[in-house]
Amino acid sequence: MKSVSRRAVLAVMTGLAVPLVPACTSEPDQPPPPDPLAALAEQARKDAAAATALAQSSPDLAAVAGEVAKARTEHAVALQAEVDRERPPTVTTSASPTSGAQTAPATKATMIEALKAAEKQAGELVPSVPRYRAGLLGSVAAGCASLREVIA
Amino acid sequence: MTQPSTTAASAKAVPGDSVDAVQQALGAEHAAIWIYGLVSAFLPAAFNNPLNEGVTAHRARRDTLERALTAAKVEPRPPEAAYVSPKPVTDQASSLAVLAIAESDATVAWRSVLEHTDDADLRKTALEALTSSAVRATRWRKTAGATPAHTIMPGKPS
Repeated sequence: MKSVSRRAVLAVMTGLAVPLVPACTSEPDQPPPPDPLAALAEQARKDAAAATALAQSSPDLAAVAGEVAKARTEHAVALQAEVDRERPPTVTTSASPTSGAQTAPATKATMIEALKAAEKQAGELVPSVPRYRAGLLGSVAAGCASLREVIA
Repeated sequence: MTQPSTTAASAKAVPGDSVDAVQQALGAEHAAIWIYGLVSAFLPAAFNNPLNEGVTAHRARRDTLERALTAAKVEPRPPEAAYVSPKPVTDQASSLAVLAIAESDATVAWRSVLEHTDDADLRKTALEALTSSAVRATRWRKTAGATPAHTIMPGKPS
């Protein structure tokens, strides 16, 4: 204990501990930055909803749009599961942001664009995220690229 | 021949903790190259372009991996002396099926590289390889008339 207090005194004297201690203790609890995967999950839900609406309104595209809806729903579930694993939701059902509002149906062109955007978004995060997430995002990106082949 | 150095030019060494996953990916690339060679005898000339495109991509990946392993002073895994096709190849349908399997095996190996490295460049290579193999697998299945042609989470081990 002796050496600790001596060190503390020394630190105070040199003025080091003074700014450090308040910085550690009295910083207000800032909410952590949003998980980047949460936005990807939300976008996947929207893509799925738009594809579902297209499948219902356009019989000749129903099969393809149905596949997109199914795949993007699965992406959303996998991404959301990772978000919740990392930071368990405080309220039991906080995560049902898919608004009840009617989603405008996709078109073939907007569906392709959305898949391109989703592939890019996921791919851009791949170099910097933890390893498990890199694998997950890689599969999502590759899944979106594959879906475009199915539509084309 | 002007060889700039003994460790192949511009190859970035594979980090030590990524070597096993990279060797697995190299194994998948060797196997894919072998499959492309095997099926070429069973597919008509109309398939030459996609076959060429595929095998060229796999050879390029193989070369990249071999250089990166060599740069890390690790012996790149050689191709197997003999391969067994995952299914007997006797005609166009079975050829397309094993092409899709080879591409799909590659996606699993490359996703595993993503999960076993912090190296940003290696991750970019892995993402590109995972994506292009997933796309080719989808094309081969689509050509074969298989539905669904795509995989929802390519590379995710089943």
